[in-house]
Amino acid sequence: MRRQIPLALVFIFGVFMIFQYFVPHESSEWIYEFLLDWIYIIGIFALALGIWSLIRVSVAKIKARKANWGYPIITIAGLFLMILFGFTGYRDGSLGFHFMTAEGLSNPMFRNFFDYILIPIQSTMFALLAFFIASAAYRAFRARNVLASLLLVAALVVMLRFNPYMGPIGPYVADAASWLLNVPNLAAKRAIIIGIGLGMVATALKIILGIERGYMGKG
Amino acid sequence: MKHKSLVILLFIFCAFTLSAAQEDAAPVDTVQVDSILPPAPVSMLTAKDGENDHGHSITLRWELSADDGAGQNSVLSYEIFRWVPFFMDTLQSIQDSLEQTEAYIAELRTFLPRAEKRLKEYRKRKKPKLVIVIFVDSTQFYEDTIAASKRLLPEYEEQLKQLRQWRKQAIDEIPQAHTSYPEQGEWRKVGTALSGQANFKDVGVKERKSHDYMADHTDYYYRVDAVTADPAIRASSEIVGPVQSYGQLFNTGRIPVFVAVLVFCLLTILFVTRARRGAELYVRPLAGIEAVDDAIGRATEMGKPILYVLGLGTAADIGTIASFTILGRVAKRVAEYQTKLIVPCYDPIVMTVAQETVKAAYLDAGRPDDYYEDIVYFVTQSQFAYVAAVNGTMLRELPATNMYMGVFFAESLILAETGALAGSIQIAGTDQVAQLPFFIVACDYTLIGEELYAASAYLGREPILLGSLKAQDYAKAAVIILAALGLLAASLDWTAFINLFSVTS
Amino acid sequence: MRRSTIIVMAAVFGLFILSWILRSTSLASVQEHYLIGGLKVTFSAFLTLAILSFLYKDNPFYKFAEHLFVGISAAFWMSMGFWTTIVGNLIPRLSRSLSEFFQVPYQPGSYNFVYFIPVILGIMLLMRLSSKYGWFARWPLAFIVGTFAGLNFVRYLRSDFVEQVSATFVPLLVGWQGVGHFVSNFSLSASGQFVAIVGNWVIFLGVICGIIYFFFSKEHKGAFGAASRVGIWILMITFGASFGYTVMGRISLLVGRITFLFRDWLNLIS
Repeated sequence: MRRQIPLALVFIFGVFMIFQYFVPHESSEWIYEFLLDWIYIIGIFALALGIWSLIRVSVAKIKARKANWGYPIITIAGLFLMILFGFTGYRDGSLGFHFMTAEGLSNPMFRNFFDYILIPIQSTMFALLAFFIASAAYRAFRARNVLASLLLVAALVVMLRFNPYMGPIGPYVADAASWLLNVPNLAAKRAIIIGIGLGMVATALKIILGIERGYMGKG
Repeated sequence: MKHKSLVILLFIFCAFTLSAAQEDAAPVDTVQVDSILPPAPVSMLTAKDGENDHGHSITLRWELSADDGAGQNSVLSYEIFRWVPFFMDTLQSIQDSLEQTEAYIAELRTFLPRAEKRLKEYRKRKKPKLVIVIFVDSTQFYEDTIAASKRLLPEYEEQLKQLRQWRKQAIDEIPQAHTSYPEQGEWRKVGTALSGQANFKDVGVKERKSHDYMADHTDYYYRVDAVTADPAIRASSEIVGPVQSYGQLFNTGRIPVFVAVLVFCLLTILFVTRARRGAELYVRPLAGIEAVDDAIGRATEMGKPILYVLGLGTAADIGTIASFTILGRVAKRVAEYQTKLIVPCYDPIVMTVAQETVKAAYLDAGRPDDYYEDIVYFVTQSQFAYVAAVNGTMLRELPATNMYMGVFFAESLILAETGALAGSIQIAGTDQVAQLPFFIVACDYTLIGEELYAASAYLGREPILLGSLKAQDYAKAAVIILAALGLLAASLDWTAFINLFSVTS
Repeated sequence: MRRSTIIVMAAVFGLFILSWILRSTSLASVQEHYLIGGLKVTFSAFLTLAILSFLYKDNPFYKFAEHLFVGISAAFWMSMGFWTTIVGNLIPRLSRSLSEFFQVPYQPGSYNFVYFIPVILGIMLLMRLSSKYGWFARWPLAFIVGTFAGLNFVRYLRSDFVEQVSATFVPLLVGWQGVGHFVSNFSLSASGQFVAIVGNWVIFLGVICGIIYFFFSKEHKGAFGAASRVGIWILMITFGASFGYTVMGRISLLVGRITFLFRDWLNLIS
């Protein structure tokens, strides 16, 4: 029962989703929309599990007084502070359990934390890619063998296509880059996508048929 | 003097006569409005239920007007008219009243608690005598308003209940109302098509409470007007109808996908059955998979942990599910070697499943006591916060091996480069085509796309999983054959063959 | 903590205070709450530099920013999820009194009772925390995994198989009007017939060889092995081209942050 019912549920819902894809009738569509709505709702309950795990791990690190044990305090402090700002707000001048008023977000600190802490850090993490792409290129673009050489040449041609200092060969480089992106790039991507598609489809089928059960654990 | 005035009069008379003559003598290329002929109407107008949809739509097709985009009577557009019974206006006004009542109720519900609160504050405040009259008036105002609002609220709610009932009844009567054609209704424009366009789809919505609701199993009548530059000059087609819309039970536009589903299911079942019967299945070596054992051994020798990153997918993503299977295998070997495993998770459901998987793996390895909950932990559901945390873990814990298996996005390069900085062996596998170049460049071994899904079969060597791999290979062989046939078909213009693979909806 | 670390941290803190004062002073003429405004910009700049310091090595400032980010982002998504999904989507369909409490419009409907099912499934998922009843969590998991397996099965079979195969149906000879026409109009220009024909052949052979590379159940030797090798060459060209293609985009991300530091914080550029 502990495994049979979940496997049966996987089969039933899996087959239904395949079925509804070919049945455009309204009733099939309604059920499809219900099911998707349910998944979002269940996901929020799962978030509570995640927050619980985060708190537990942080508290364990603090209690164990391992190296860097002070930093999880910042995590927990930030977590609870943002929960406070996110679940309370001002309406008619007093603090209460709300998020939005007709005028917008009702706790200005929630907005400030988002704008001046989350956004700068997120953008900076994204900006690190500029450095990492350079260091990755430095490490990887060495013509050790045929494959590495092909990688290097293709990357160089595409990177140089908008370079204004290429002189008379500039237009040819741009054309070559354009051809590389539109022809062999397209061919290889299509091959990869076909392979991925078949792999996904096979895995999905194995899940529906109950052959693939790793996600369910044991017991 | 007399002569002068006579000359002036004569001059004025001539001027008037000449200008009148000029007005009468219209230039050759000016067309008088009342002499323009209406254009030719459209012909062969047909109306049918929209194909392969959930209903609530009618498709109209016609032969273009002979004057379409040409000549003096140029048709610049087509206007599509549907016969609408006046009953629909009644339904519309019920809808409008309902929405208005809902808005009033929402306003009252917002206003009442605020007003009561304000009244309490006023009553508590001690005001100097000079303004006592104004103070008393404000209190009275709030008291009166609150009392009136409290009286009105249940009335509005009753009204709302009644309106909802009427709306439901009215919606049920829509098909009946349309049978009164051509009485008690009028023609209303439902759309426009440009010149050169010979079809139009009148689409409604299925939500019964929407203003654009179009009922199924209802008689609809249409006509199409060919319209010139002057909207008053037009020609109407014949009226078509009654035509009804309804949802289809099978989408014929997706037959190629249906055939693919059947073929693929058959192939999989065939090879899985053969595998179950003990057929030997060869699989070629995959460098990334063979490196997993070495990588785990390396970590054990160095006494350093193994970091396993499941990616940013949800538990429903196929790449993540493939990753669970690999995690199970890796966790079992890690348990056997008693190496530390770290699995930071992005999604809480993924964390739940990963915990189950790792726990089961430790049980299988005969080391249930070595398992603890914090091997697999949730970090955050924000992409770059997760990456920041994993980066920190990499630089502090200094794992010997990093495994990135699953769904990754822009953060893939950050993870891989930081792992390289930390001096870890890195094995990656993802089905995100856009991230493959970064993993190829930054990691020691990369499982490209489909190899990620094949990895679980490789690691476990279970006949059923290998059988499924065989089915995939046969599907690929079919792709090669079809591509070759398609090349011939495209070269020789065999459109029938090409259309077999065309998914139209 | 080492002495040098403490000195560096103190110096950074001092610079932070100085920066705050200077920025607030510059904002005094344009903003009413200039102290708060100055603090916000300075703190954002501090966090930006803390993350960038990671490029040098792991340090207390990066650790501080990282842990703060993790805590705040987790709570942010929890708040958004609660107010948009639970309060915005679920409660209006379940309960009139709760809708009134949260001041969201109640949405009555004949089928609203079905929304109790995800609530029950969600509670079952929370039972994961219990060692005795944790197995109940498999039911909602099975629902989610099964639903998406079915959805992905058909969706990817269409987009990644049927449509990709159909897109590979390219003609051997593009715009062919005979050998004479081909020779007389021969050119290497990108829009020419020759390049188009070569392109189609490369696409066809590239797809075939790429697919052959991914064959698992056949040994890659002989002609098959040669085709597989061509396949991996084409794949490497693709990966190189994709890598080169994204470089400029990544650099532009850094430009954004540098602009913030030099304009909004240091006020050195307009």
